[in-house]
Amino acid sequence: MPEKLSRKMVLPGELVAKGPIKLGDGVYREGEQIYAAIMGLLDHKKDFIRVIPLTGKYIPHVGDYVIGVVMDAMFSGWEIDINSAYNGILNGRDYISDIDIFQTSLVKILSPGSMIFASVREITPTKKVYITMTDNGARVLRGGRFLTINPTRIPRLIGKKSSMISMIKREAQCTVLVGQNGRVWLNGKPEIMAIAAMAVERIEKEAQRPGLTDNIKKMIIEEREKL
Amino acid sequence: MKKVGEPEKFIIKGKRLDGRNPDEMREVKIKAGVLKRADGSAYLEWGGNKVIAACYGPREVHPRHLSRSHKAILRCVYNMAPFSVNDRKRPGPDRRSTEISKVTRQTLEPVVFTNLFPRTAIDVFIEILQANAGTRCTGITAASVALADAGIPMRDLVPACAAGKVGGEIVLDMFDVEDNYGEADLPVAIMPKSGDISLLQMDGNFTDAEFKKALKLAILGCETVYEVQKNALKEKYGGN
Repeated sequence: MPEKLSRKMVLPGELVAKGPIKLGDGVYREGEQIYAAIMGLLDHKKDFIRVIPLTGKYIPHVGDYVIGVVMDAMFSGWEIDINSAYNGILNGRDYISDIDIFQTSLVKILSPGSMIFASVREITPTKKVYITMTDNGARVLRGGRFLTINPTRIPRLIGKKSSMISMIKREAQCTVLVGQNGRVWLNGKPEIMAIAAMAVERIEKEAQRPGLTDNIKKMIIEEREKL
Repeated sequence: MKKVGEPEKFIIKGKRLDGRNPDEMREVKIKAGVLKRADGSAYLEWGGNKVIAACYGPREVHPRHLSRSHKAILRCVYNMAPFSVNDRKRPGPDRRSTEISKVTRQTLEPVVFTNLFPRTAIDVFIEILQANAGTRCTGITAASVALADAGIPMRDLVPACAAGKVGGEIVLDMFDVEDNYGEADLPVAIMPKSGDISLLQMDGNFTDAEFKKALKLAILGCETVYEVQKNALKEKYGGN
């Protein structure tokens, strides 16, 4: 399939390091030895080691921005599908700070099926994921177009210092919101959105290829000229 | 007394009925990530066996009461297609597939980091498309590749392989005639990194010495399968 990877690929159970070193995600220690726990690319720094996953579900972290779908309105909050193993919980207060849940019907505020852009506030030890919309930038998403891509490709879609995503916004001239959970929201003219969607899908497919930003930029410009 | 269809001899001039040496395996081919809808999948061909394994998860547990607050639960389903055997197999779960589902789960449970995903389920489905003896080993082998392909944290991959006794001789990886009319069967699954045994079943009788020889042979077979598993996963991403 793709060309040679720049980082070493490791598989579960593969010995990746020895001795004292800080462990990130995707590795585990047994005595002195450190092994990979997932299939992925090895990121071995001087005092830190982790495996960058190539596949897998989205695992929520505090502070992540996610795009969620309201599944149900409960008594004091909403249940949100965040494309993960766990559903998110959005408390009424995390949307409207002075909400009176006894007086309001939450289903009238956010009905099932609504899409929201929100951030992860807290994760309890039993993995209850609380999300909040009190942050800057959090909003209800109306119209536009949704894409779902492999969550492990999101860092590539954003790029180093968000180089890739700002390039797409600039070149395609449409709104792009990226959730860490693998959902992407586009808003703009339909034909522009189609180009941006093409770009996103191509990034997902060719995430490991070098020189991707330039190729995508070229593609967007070419497609725009065809309009 | 000889059964109907039983061959006169299982080993003729040091070769088995399908032309293999006693310690030779059938060819194993694995392809990872063959299904688009599943989170992870693998297709495996092992001699005449054709198996597809799919893995979903970690995901919400339904029914809810099965969930555990401190770990993920692993659920395995082994199923044979009606057309997988010579006589049609009556579809649906039966005694045999329920047992194999259970031993598959117990084989895979020690390698999966279930503690990382409390209140979730990891589902593994194994479909036998064509059977030619040793399907529980092929199922476990394919399932562990599917789990790795789904990005589920694991201590190791789990290869499995069977050894057995036919015509008084210990052989590796029996095919259907040997399995049906042989004297004993010993499926083994290991965790190659630690050398631990994850599955060990025995059907038939071995002497002490024969058992040790068969176990050693089966572990060697597992190590061969392990290499094929690793190559299959690396091939999917053109790894180095």
